[in-house]
Amino acid sequence: MSTSIQRLVIVGGGTAGWLSACLIAAKLPGLAITLVEAPNIPTVGVGEGTWPTMRETLATIGIAEAEFLRECDAAFKQGSRFDGWTDGTAGDSYLHPFTAPVPGEMRDLIAAWQAGAPGAPFAAAMTPQHAVCAHDLAPRQRAMPDYAGALNYGYHLDAGKFAALLARHATGRLGVVRIAAEVTGVVAGADADIAALRLRDQADLPGDLFIDCSGQAGLLIGGHCGAGWIDRSDVSLNDRALAVQVPVLPGSAVASQTIGTAHEAGWLWDIGLPTRRGIGCVYSSQFLSDDRAAEILADHVRAHVPGADVAALRPRLLSFATGHRDRFWVGNCLAIGLSAGFIEPLEASAIVLIELSLKALTENFPQSRNTLPIRAARFNALFRYRWDRIVEFLKLHYVLSRRREPYWQAQRAAAAIPSGLADALMLWREQPPSVWDLPRVDEMFPAASQAYVLYGMGFPAPAAAGAAPSPAAVARIADVAAKARALAAALPANRDYFTALAAHSAPPAAQRDHAAP
Amino acid sequence: MTNHAILNPADHGTLRVRTEAHAALGDNVTACLVMPAEFRAAQAHYPIVFRRDAATGKLAAIALFGFDSGENLFLTADGWDALYRPLALAVQPFLIGRAGESDSAPQVHVDLAHPRIATDGEGVRVFDDQGQPTPYLEAIAGKLGDLDYAYQAGDDFFAALERYDLVEPFSLDVTLDNGSKQTLVGFQTIDENRLAALDGEALHGLMAAGHLSPIYMAVASLSQFPALVARKNALTARA
Repeated sequence: MSTSIQRLVIVGGGTAGWLSACLIAAKLPGLAITLVEAPNIPTVGVGEGTWPTMRETLATIGIAEAEFLRECDAAFKQGSRFDGWTDGTAGDSYLHPFTAPVPGEMRDLIAAWQAGAPGAPFAAAMTPQHAVCAHDLAPRQRAMPDYAGALNYGYHLDAGKFAALLARHATGRLGVVRIAAEVTGVVAGADADIAALRLRDQADLPGDLFIDCSGQAGLLIGGHCGAGWIDRSDVSLNDRALAVQVPVLPGSAVASQTIGTAHEAGWLWDIGLPTRRGIGCVYSSQFLSDDRAAEILADHVRAHVPGADVAALRPRLLSFATGHRDRFWVGNCLAIGLSAGFIEPLEASAIVLIELSLKALTENFPQSRNTLPIRAARFNALFRYRWDRIVEFLKLHYVLSRRREPYWQAQRAAAAIPSGLADALMLWREQPPSVWDLPRVDEMFPAASQAYVLYGMGFPAPAAAGAAPSPAAVARIADVAAKARALAAALPANRDYFTALAAHSAPPAAQRDHAAP
Repeated sequence: MTNHAILNPADHGTLRVRTEAHAALGDNVTACLVMPAEFRAAQAHYPIVFRRDAATGKLAAIALFGFDSGENLFLTADGWDALYRPLALAVQPFLIGRAGESDSAPQVHVDLAHPRIATDGEGVRVFDDQGQPTPYLEAIAGKLGDLDYAYQAGDDFFAALERYDLVEPFSLDVTLDNGSKQTLVGFQTIDENRLAALDGEALHGLMAAGHLSPIYMAVASLSQFPALVARKNALTARA
């Protein structure tokens, strides 16, 4: 039997499956890639926020930005805004923008912020993106090259349309073979590897490497591979979401960021697309009834979506187990997407984890079966690390809150705080977050992200930052305000951008034919 | 067609202006006026020649962007391929207006019929939500001020050229790589022989008035003709 890796089989056709198919096909064109999806399994379809990494992903896959925006009803996401998380009073709001603070030593920048504009929010002092988001502006002008912007940005998108676009692209342009069939079992190979998949009413599907994108079912990773499950619900309390999609009035403003609004026992997401808003109430079933969650959701829609028909809403209830596999790569099978794990959608970690998994796989792709165990061990160590960091960073949003409801007090209970986070918080009273806290390549939430949440929620800046700021830091902080003015003048409103995009878009076929050689 | 209005936040609070370089936005021009005060910046990119107004006989300086009518060889798919654009072009669609007497205070006018006036929410805002000028308008106002000052000062410069008889007719014949001929006629340029023959008193007068530097800059700008021809050759080779 050949030991080379030539046939890749992907199970599952949601965002994870088709993103895997596209990215692997684009980066490793020699592979024969087959994606098998059951004909009638609906995708979860609530992963609708991406990170800025998606721009490079789409460029690598070979999809033009205008095509992506149009086909996925997508909008720009420049960060997340958190309303009501600190104490729930009026005006309690802070932004975690995608653009990093101006360059400089964080302690020095904090001193310049506090000396120059102590009343301004931390994010407003550190990046012009704060002002741009406040005005619902796009991060780029249409005339800019694809995937370039004046500020860092990702997307909000329609997950169903996104998977469909990726499927068309994979099968039409990247040579991926799609099989519509239900996977009924596994043909085991040597060393408990997977030799082939058994399909209902079809011949066995052999492969050298298998990717399990079957969602929470975890058909291969949890089935044949027997990877264990690590429950994280002791730290991450939310286990349900009620989701709706609400049409918006023509011409209404499209928000520049995901808005997360805290409520008595969880929070609501609000994701603005050009045609609709995806709104969901995330909560802990231990602290909130489904009926009360539905009320909170309806109240939010009534208060925040002009023209919405609240009586017509039919929310969808999603229950989820919070946790992840103990191993994500077992033998010749990897779990990517929800099959690897899931945690509440705060900070939208689902899609970026797919991208990071694919980056780790394609840049370390096995040439033969001989290196599989070594690569699997490294991959598993890396993603265990990533999950720990996600769990801790999401928890940071709760532990800094001063809300008094029982749910929020339970979030702050010492037993529910991971020791790594508790230690970091002790250190951060003496020094700002830095690479010493988060030293790995491609940290998901680097020191800048930690700082945006910490100082956005009023965490005391380290005492030594009371020293006089350097002239360079003062100049950089002053430059943020000047740049904010210039960008606020130069960038179009999101709504105007998408209206102009629709008006100027050639049909997809014609546009491709005229692409530059 | 033009439609000039005095720029003000009440009427133009949400006005946006397209700032990118594009033929459809009025950049499909072969030349534009250039002021003596900007010869130094302009000569780094463009040949500068003089043209005598047929009606008034007055001289004016222009920067050349191409050979054929409407041809702008600096206009590319990626924008304007030079770091400096002459003020007269860079301020569009704005202009200086004066109410009544020519020595009254200058005002910023806008040509609302100019293709740079955005109608779809794209482009750069002129006033912010509070009605304050944006950094873009501040920059434009600065350029308009420079342009106005340079324009007034230009009369003196051209009068000096006439006084010392420093211009001579200029024509250019070039054979392109593809064998076709390009001809420029009807322009004037600095008469370098007469310039070289000026006595100390004349040179001192020109220098003291600030005219000597732009004269030499205009002379130096003619070295941009080979670059302009190269752009034309590159264009015809692609066509």
